[in-house]
Parts: sequence; C-alpha cells; structure tokens
Amino acid sequence: MVTNRDVDDLGERPGSQLFKTPTGIAGFDEITGGGVPAGRPTLVCGPAGAGKSLFAMQFLVNGINRYAEPGVFLVFEENRADLVADVRALSFDLDGLERDGRLLVDALTLDSQMVETGEYNLEALIVRLAWAVEKIGAKRVVIDNVEALFSAFSGPALIRSELRRLFRWLKDRELTTVITGERGEGRLTRHGLEEYLSDCVVVLDDRVIQDVATRRLRVMKYRGSTHGRNEYPFLIGANGFEVLPITSLGLNQRVSAERVSTGVAGLDEMLGGQGVFRGSAVLVNGTSGTGKTTIGAAFADAACRGGEKVLFFSFEESESEIFRNMESVGLDMRGWAEQGLLHFHCERPTTRGLEDHLATMQRRIQEVNPTLVVIDPVTSLARGASLFDVSTLLMRQIYYLKAAGITVVMTVLNAEGGAERQTLLNISSLVDTSLDLVMLESLGERNRGLYVLKSRGMAHSNQIREFVLSDDGVAVVPVVIGAEGVLTGSARVAEQSAERATAMGLTAESEELARALEQRKESVDAHVAAMRADFLAEEKLAQRLIAASERRQEALLLDWQAQARRRTVKPTGNYSPRVEPTEKE
Amino acid sequence: MSILSEPQEREGALTPERLNMTLFVSGASPASARAVRRLRDLCDRHCPSGYDLKVIDIYQEPAVVASRGVLAVPTLIKELPLPVRVLIGDFTDEPRVLAALGLSVAKEH
Repeated sequence: MVTNRDVDDLGERPGSQLFKTPTGIAGFDEITGGGVPAGRPTLVCGPAGAGKSLFAMQFLVNGINRYAEPGVFLVFEENRADLVADVRALSFDLDGLERDGRLLVDALTLDSQMVETGEYNLEALIVRLAWAVEKIGAKRVVIDNVEALFSAFSGPALIRSELRRLFRWLKDRELTTVITGERGEGRLTRHGLEEYLSDCVVVLDDRVIQDVATRRLRVMKYRGSTHGRNEYPFLIGANGFEVLPITSLGLNQRVSAERVSTGVAGLDEMLGGQGVFRGSAVLVNGTSGTGKTTIGAAFADAACRGGEKVLFFSFEESESEIFRNMESVGLDMRGWAEQGLLHFHCERPTTRGLEDHLATMQRRIQEVNPTLVVIDPVTSLARGASLFDVSTLLMRQIYYLKAAGITVVMTVLNAEGGAERQTLLNISSLVDTSLDLVMLESLGERNRGLYVLKSRGMAHSNQIREFVLSDDGVAVVPVVIGAEGVLTGSARVAEQSAERATAMGLTAESEELARALEQRKESVDAHVAAMRADFLAEEKLAQRLIAASERRQEALLLDWQAQARRRTVKPTGNYSPRVEPTEKE
Repeated sequence: MSILSEPQEREGALTPERLNMTLFVSGASPASARAVRRLRDLCDRHCPSGYDLKVIDIYQEPAVVASRGVLAVPTLIKELPLPVRVLIGDFTDEPRVLAALGLSVAKEH
C-alpha cells in the first residue's frame, strides 16, 4: 500500500535516462523532440474550452492506434456520453476501442450531496485506477480535470496530499500520464498543481483577438529536455488537435523541375518561356482591380486544359460571379467546373476563425486532391487575425502544399499604400514566384501593368509589361518603350502606329533611293553606250584614214618604180623606198 | 429521482423500511476497523428495528468500487430507504451520520 510517507521522497531518480513517448499529435512531437516524458506525468493546463480534454484524448487514442499502448481515461465532471459524442466528431471510436479492451473510460461522478462525517482519504481513487490499468495493461493514463476533486471535497490540504500520493503512484508505475487542469487566477492551475507536476507543463490558450479566437500552445517546462519555447498556434480540425510549429519545418520536401503554364502566354514568356515550377508557391500582389483573380483563373484554366484538378478557394466572390467575370475575358470556368476538373470553395472570411479556415482548406484539399490550389485572396484570411498569425499559419499551409507537390497561387490584395506587402514578407521565404500587378497612370488613363518581382530558379524578364484583359482573353503584351518610359493603353497603341508609320516612311525613302540608283545606273549605262558608240565611230574613221594612207603610199611606190624603170634598165635587189638616196647618186 | 422517491417515502411511513447500506473501507487498516466499529455501534443504538450492512474491502473488489463510483474511504452508501445517500468519513460526526441515515428524527420522536 502506498502511504503519505512515500510522497516525501518525491525526488528525481538520478541517472534515469529520459525517454519520450510520442503523442501522435501533429506538430507537438516536433516541438518537444519526441513527445511527453515517458513514464511520467505531464500537466496540460489552460482555460475552459482551450482543448485540454481533446489533447488528452488524442494522446490516448493515438497511443492505442499507433503505438499499441492501451490507455485509461479517468474523467471527472464530464458525462461519459458527452465525452464519447465530443470525440466521435473527430472519428475516434471510443466504444469500439473499449470493446477491444484497449481503452477504459472511467467517469467519476462527483456527488455534491455527499455528507462528510469525519476523516477520510482518496485511496479508492488509486485503487480504481490501479484496477483499470491492470485490467487492460495500460501504458498511458489521462486524468481529465483532476482539480474537480477540490470542489467535491471540503479539505484542500487533504486533496493536495492525496494528489501527491496519486502522482507518486503514477510515477512508480511508470505510466505516461496527461493530467489536465484549469487555469487559475495568477497561476497555471486553480490549485497550483504545477508545484507537483514539474516534469512537463504544457499551457494552452484561447485568446480572442479582434473577435476571432486564436489558439496557442506553449511548452512552459520540460525537465531534462530541450523544447521549442515559442507560443505555437494550434487548431482543432477534422484530424483533431494540430500544433503548427513553423520553426520546426523541415526543408526536405522534394522539388520538381517540371514547369506548368500560367495560362497567360506572354507571362510564360516572361518566366523563362515555360511558366512556373510544379509544386511551387506563386504570390500575385496587386491593389484592387488589377486583375489578380484573373491571373488565378488563368492558372486554373491552363491546368484544366491539361486535364488536371484544381481547387479554387474564393473568399470574396461566389462561384457564379467568378463564372460570369471570367467569361468576359474568355476563360470558361463553368465548363471546367462541369467537367469536374475545377472545384470551388467559396466562403466569406468573416464567418469563421482563421484556424477553422485552414482546417477546412486542408480537408477540402484532401477531398479534391488537386494539382493546383488557388487562394483568392489570401489577405482575406487576415481579417480579424493579426498578420503575424496569418503569416505563420500560411507558412504551414504552403509547406504542406509544397510537400504534397501541389502548386499554389495566392493573390494578395494590397492596400493602395502597399503596407500589407511589408507584413506578408515573412512568408516570402516560402514563395517561389512573386508577380506584381500595378496600375500605370499616364495620359489620363489607368492601365494594368505586370512584372515579375522574383522567380526562383529561372531566368525571368525584368520588364514591366502591360496586362491586357479583353473579350479575346488575357494577355501580357510585349513592352513598348517610348520617349517617356513604358507606354500603355492608347498611348501604346498610338506609339505602335507611329512606329508603324515611321517604319513605312523608312521603306519609302529606301525605295526612292533604290529607284534613284537604278536611274543613275541607267544613265551611266547610257553614257557608257554613247561613249562606246563615239569610240566605234572614231575607230572606224581612224581605220579608214589608215587604209587611205596605205593606199597612197602604195600608189607612190608604184609611181616610183615606174619612174625607175624608165631611168634604168634593170633594178637590182629588193626594192626599198629607202634606197631613194641611191637614186640621187 | 424525486418522482420515484416520493411514493416510496409515503410507504415507508406506514411500514418502516429496513436500513440497507454498503460500506467501502481500505483493507484491514486500523482506521478502517475503527470506522466499521463506530458505524455498527451507532446503528445498534439508533436503529433497533435492525439494518443490513455490507462491508467491502476496496482492494478485494475494485470493480465494484469503480461501478459504484467510490473515490474516498470510508464511503457509506445508504441504498434503502430511498433516497440514496452517500456518506464519507469515519463517522466521528455522529449527528450528521444520523441525519443522513434518517435516524436522528426517529430518535427524537
């Protein structure tokens, strides 16, 4: 039998190595480096409704289902039927587990009509627990809201010593225990249980910030172990309790080199000609009316064309509004929806808290199993919650999507001043491609401009281009730079026609030059021909003159010979006119 | 509970029902033995018509401890006559015990 004296030796057994028992609660085991201390009690405290019972129950059910550790759930106050109903909503089948002999729920109804007639102790509580633990071979125990004992029994000093005895017994039996306690005034629990349960203390909180409940978890104490010391947001979703430890995110998700089209031809060209990486996160920033939703829809359209599934979260427009609006720019969203490729989830962001939204989003993603998720606009989630919360939860969401290889396009509605861009920057480390949509004002017009703020792992254009929405569709038009910078709208059109005109002017001039050259060539040719004709004439004349002169010489020679024949009898040798001087001899 | 107990009480007034009780104690500890002795003595004095008392050692029958919702020892459950009353403690506060068992009134009259 355990006596009060044992409690006095409540020391840590030196040399006993610290083992941890996984809770199986997403995120919690990460921030504690493995779970709660094995064979020891852990105190989970917080205000009513903070999720203490759920944490405890999940620790127990996960233990049974995943780690083959049967568990005893000792619950005060709460009606057993209520408990079963509460957790059934989270798909825990407590009745089934009890039938299998792996779970034992002992509901302790505290009778306020009890009459105290003298001295007593709570030995029966330990006997009950011991009996339950032995019956199913339990390794895990939950004692839900043990402080209810203080309201049922009158002697707080007695309850205190009995609880010390209980905790000592749990440690001796090396039962991994989660004990819940309600937050008290100025202390963690109403009756200071933290004094006795110092191995591991987890504090849950449920604060209301701007009318939206935000749940936080903090590991306040973990003897003999390092642990994440921050306050972590957590949510209670379809999969139960989930802690969102941003800082413990691994960086080992697989990456894809495959590219997916943005659905906007000119934009793909700006992104190295191929679009964005599959499984990457794309942020589309812009003020109101810059065409953010259209970009998201274009992405969706491109994915649907490839026969891929898309999940479109719309927080500002209804499905039919999107159908109509996108039809006007030539994107047939309705058609894709009817083919079952495009799925919508439209909801006003104000209807529920941020955690609920993210939980719903995760559930829908699991249902639809898309390759592309569009969140339009992501800033709507920030309504009510602080931007820090949004960023941290979004980081988790992005990480989850990236790990699943799902491409995510998030639009960000920037205030005209652009202040929100600053605060959302802390998710930019997880964003791969960031597009900025801007309004370009000039010459009495506002036109949409688009540029790539960043795009990791690919060559991308540094130009601001015009983003044109028309009946024919969505296009990014090649940049036109005039004397005054990037020209858009009618100025672009004017500049383009002016350029066309200039180009045409240049052609005419060169044609004229060519023509002039041709004429010059003709005139040169004519000139050459005339000169040749002159030359030929001169040549003929010269030949005639030469011929005439030869004939005259011949004639002279004949004359000379005839005279010589008349003077002498016989001429000797060859005749040469040069022998004329001989004639003078 | 109150709907059921009312006719029972009226009946009890005509033919007094026999006191029926279960006492949960912790093994063979001296304190438990003292509590049992004190209760028997008290009932013998104030309930001459007789009573039924079943004493259960919590270590011997833990399943019953759980099913009856017992946390403290000693715990006395008065099952009959209705209403059911739960008494905890070692019966040193005699007037409270008698009142809870519905015996003090009988004695005074």
